[in-house]
Amino acid sequence: MSANDRQGALSLAPTYYDALRRLTLELAGINLGSNHAFLVETRLAKLAREEGYDSLDAMVSELFQTGGSRLAVQVVSALTERDTHFFKDQTAFRRLREVVLPDLHHKRGGGRIRLLSFGCASGQEPYGMAMVIDQMQDALEGMKVDIVGVDYPSQALERARLGRYTHFDVQRGLPVRDLVEYFDTDKADWVVKDKIRKRVEFRDIHLLSKLDTLDDFHAVMFCGSLPHYSAPARVRVLRGLSGLVKENGYLILGEGESLSKMNFGFDRVSESSGLYKKREVVIEPEVDPDLKIPNGRTTFEKSEQPYKPLKLSQP
Amino acid sequence: MKTCLIVDDSRMIRRVAGRIVKDLGFETSEAINGQEALDKCQMELPDAVLVDWAMPVMDGFDFVKKLRELPGGQKPIVVFCTSVRDISRIVEALAAGADEYIMKPFDSDIIESKFTLAGLV
Repeated sequence: MSANDRQGALSLAPTYYDALRRLTLELAGINLGSNHAFLVETRLAKLAREEGYDSLDAMVSELFQTGGSRLAVQVVSALTERDTHFFKDQTAFRRLREVVLPDLHHKRGGGRIRLLSFGCASGQEPYGMAMVIDQMQDALEGMKVDIVGVDYPSQALERARLGRYTHFDVQRGLPVRDLVEYFDTDKADWVVKDKIRKRVEFRDIHLLSKLDTLDDFHAVMFCGSLPHYSAPARVRVLRGLSGLVKENGYLILGEGESLSKMNFGFDRVSESSGLYKKREVVIEPEVDPDLKIPNGRTTFEKSEQPYKPLKLSQP
Repeated sequence: MKTCLIVDDSRMIRRVAGRIVKDLGFETSEAINGQEALDKCQMELPDAVLVDWAMPVMDGFDFVKKLRELPGGQKPIVVFCTSVRDISRIVEALAAGADEYIMKPFDSDIIESKFTLAGLV
């Protein structure tokens, strides 16, 4: 197919494709790449139909003529929606199951912890986390777990809130025993059972905005998105996430993803490149000159020599 | 090369599923009902069986129960591939010895996902 034929198959003026790419980079920090016309055509045509526009062209023309922020967020959300499925990043879930949850339980001995699925799309990841918690309830005895899923306001997030999936959705990544255990049927769809849905709260936020409307979390799962962000957006989103993770809490990235040379207050956990632990901030106490200084013995008894502060020699 | 026996009375389903399973690296063979599949398993056990539920002569449910009674019959990974979507029937299939379960219509992603979950890929 020639370039002219391809252009003939597209329904928007060529300048709109570039404008949509720039809009997505500006609002979400995500670079769609140069070959994004197919993505625009398929995802936005669906959105245009659902929003009641006569055509894709009518919706995009209105977007750029009126600059409507609600429509802009919907368009960008549709363009950046990830194709996800249950337990998509098995390495991340293994880290959650084998390292993060046992460690949090061991250190806290119980109580309430909070987990975050950052960029949760249509909800498979946070619901998967809830299933893992349910399966580990004996090992996590005494620990209550709240799970929050956040993403841009979108139809995907609305689907997540409903916990309603098609038979294609529940057959990708989800073992049939989990399907039977955690879902009910409703006509042609599969609906997450209340015992799982009640553990998960969904909130729509701008992922690149200040995240201080969220409380902090004991662990954050952020899988599969990092490589799509532009370099400045990557810094911004990781800085935001750093502020959300409690000291000694965990950041779980996707398989093959890492903080590279940036650390944002995290240390890598052993050799797991995608698992990081938030560094504890140690506040050194001010030295009171009248305070007795340990004398090297096992007690704080008064030493025979009066304490003299060390004086550093001047160079 | 791993082997997969595809059991379905529909020639079309055997062809489509067979192509997908071959792409996953399996050598495939076919049977048109549970009895023919059982006869083939008595000759040589495959690594995996992809089996429909409703078939003439012997259905998939009876096939799985009889397969599991054969010497070494616990070894093949059995994946149901059927239009039956009722949860109680899925539970019955698992109790009879199925390892995974695919609801029709399916695509290559679903077969690959289920074979991966079953440890076949």
